[in-house]
Amino acid sequence: MRKNGKLSNLYLIIVFIILYAPIFYLTYYSFNSGGTMHDFERFTWEWYKEVFHDTRLFIIVLNTLIVALLAAGISTVLGVIGAIAISNVRRNRTRNTLLSLNNVLIVSPDVIIGASFLIMFTMIGIKLGFISVLISHIAFSVPIVVIMVLPKLQEMSPTLVDAAKDLGASRWDVLSKVVLPFITPGIFAGFFMALTYSLDDFAVTFFVTGNGFSTLSVEIYSMARQGISLTINALSTLIFLFTMVLVVGYYFIAQRNNKAAGMGVRK
Amino acid sequence: MKKLLRTFIIIFVTAFILMFVVNRLNSSQGYGGGNTLTIYNWGDYIDPELIKEFEKETGMKVIYQTFDSNEAMMTKIEQGGTTYDLAVPSEYAIEKMKEENLLIPIDHSKLPNLKYINPKFMNLSFDPKNKYSVPYFWGTVGIVYNSEMLGGKKITSWNDLWDKNLKNQILLVDGAREVMGMGLNSLGYSLNDTNEQHLQQAKRKLDTLMPNVKAIVGDEIKMLLANEEAAVGVVWSGDAAEIMDENDKLDYVLPKEGTNLWFDNMVIPKTAKNVEGAHKFINFMLDPKHAAQNAEYVGYSTPNKKALAYLPKDISGDKRFYPTDKTTNKLEVYENLGKKMLAHYNELFLEFKMHSK
Repeated sequence: MRKNGKLSNLYLIIVFIILYAPIFYLTYYSFNSGGTMHDFERFTWEWYKEVFHDTRLFIIVLNTLIVALLAAGISTVLGVIGAIAISNVRRNRTRNTLLSLNNVLIVSPDVIIGASFLIMFTMIGIKLGFISVLISHIAFSVPIVVIMVLPKLQEMSPTLVDAAKDLGASRWDVLSKVVLPFITPGIFAGFFMALTYSLDDFAVTFFVTGNGFSTLSVEIYSMARQGISLTINALSTLIFLFTMVLVVGYYFIAQRNNKAAGMGVRK
Repeated sequence: MKKLLRTFIIIFVTAFILMFVVNRLNSSQGYGGGNTLTIYNWGDYIDPELIKEFEKETGMKVIYQTFDSNEAMMTKIEQGGTTYDLAVPSEYAIEKMKEENLLIPIDHSKLPNLKYINPKFMNLSFDPKNKYSVPYFWGTVGIVYNSEMLGGKKITSWNDLWDKNLKNQILLVDGAREVMGMGLNSLGYSLNDTNEQHLQQAKRKLDTLMPNVKAIVGDEIKMLLANEEAAVGVVWSGDAAEIMDENDKLDYVLPKEGTNLWFDNMVIPKTAKNVEGAHKFINFMLDPKHAAQNAEYVGYSTPNKKALAYLPKDISGDKRFYPTDKTTNKLEVYENLGKKMLAHYNELFLEFKMHSK
């Protein structure tokens, strides 16, 4: 039994090394004065300085964040409404159909979503840029939020709502005091999923950017012809550190909340 | 509910604060006003200093956007919804864009600096009289090789690649026209040949090259060659310059049977809002000093005759990148072969790729 535990630990360690190795490799060379991804010459901060001097790159990073935050926020609101609506549908067949339609959007390739958005935007005359990117990001995030929220809604016992109604709660009270608090974890999960989807989306964004608006993924891709400069390594390292800080911060907050919750009545 | 509401308010407020920051940054950079010029170019294909200088000189603000392939650029312009004032496609793309009416004719009277362009690069088959395009950079397809790894052997022609000693030593770019062209050239045919027999012959000859081919790769070919993963590579001259910068054991050669001559030209797409500014920018880039500065930064060859005088001797005198007229006369520009023929080229190339060793 003990031996088995050691083996599984070893396996876990190997998996994690494989997962993190590319990131560390990239970080390592972001300090290379040689300017290439081979032959480490000398240690330098040059590329980091360049990141902070390059206003254009900085604007692109901010754009990426703005789109991600707005798209995730809006699509969470829409997705929660959608999930509640779907779970309220009485007829089984209709509900399953709606759910399948939702899932089709999740599995359909990004390239096709992007291309169809491009065609639609140009047809109805929306200028490509911030708005077009935001709309398409919202569009592909909503189904994901729905999928994350629905299980929580199904988990919730219908007697809970009945009890609230019996005690004289209005429909708004039921929604705001019973349903939403219950599905909050699902909502946050949906929000963060949408956020990451939006942050790293390339295929859809690639089609619908234009007019001076660009996101990080598209920008990095278009550098490929001339070889990607180490500035990108530096930037990626910074973003990686930033997400690490966020995750660790989230972990501590969650732990504190758990402790507080453990003392109360709630499980 | 309260917690949810609070979190989402924070999220939206953060987003709007960021938007405000971007707005301020944009206006501090001078974007956003009406006086802008949007340039659509390949990634890292211009000296950023030149953009700054142009902005200072004209008071216009330049928005520089990048694309990674002619096809991507064309799709964006074709679909509309963009306001690119200037783009830099390659010659075959210009021909296609012309056919699809995506370009605005260029007013030569606004380009006094056009006279500095070497006449050799003007009035070419893809755009007679340069009605729609002005040369930006040009180059060739050739062979990069590492003579140290080949034991001091020199390569001078396409046919040298068929040498038995080169087993598993050659990297090829993943381009149907480039590789098929190599096959056709090695047999002495034109790389725009459409004769079915010649094409089959070229394909058969390429098949016999397969034992020597290590891989057919994309942009990573630069890195692989610089790292000495293979001794020989078939690449574009601009890439070759970059590879040789990183590894000085490498040399670039134009095969004596002839090869491809390519151009990236400046055009004004029909989506342009600032046609006046676009002309100004073209004229600015045609200035010999600016052209020389740009060529030194990017590493590709400039078509500007006068600019050569401003380039360091070791660049302008480099016969590999500025070959003599005698050599360039042998080089061929890709012609638009039409959809059907192009598909045939692609098919033959695919068959070649699938040919087992």
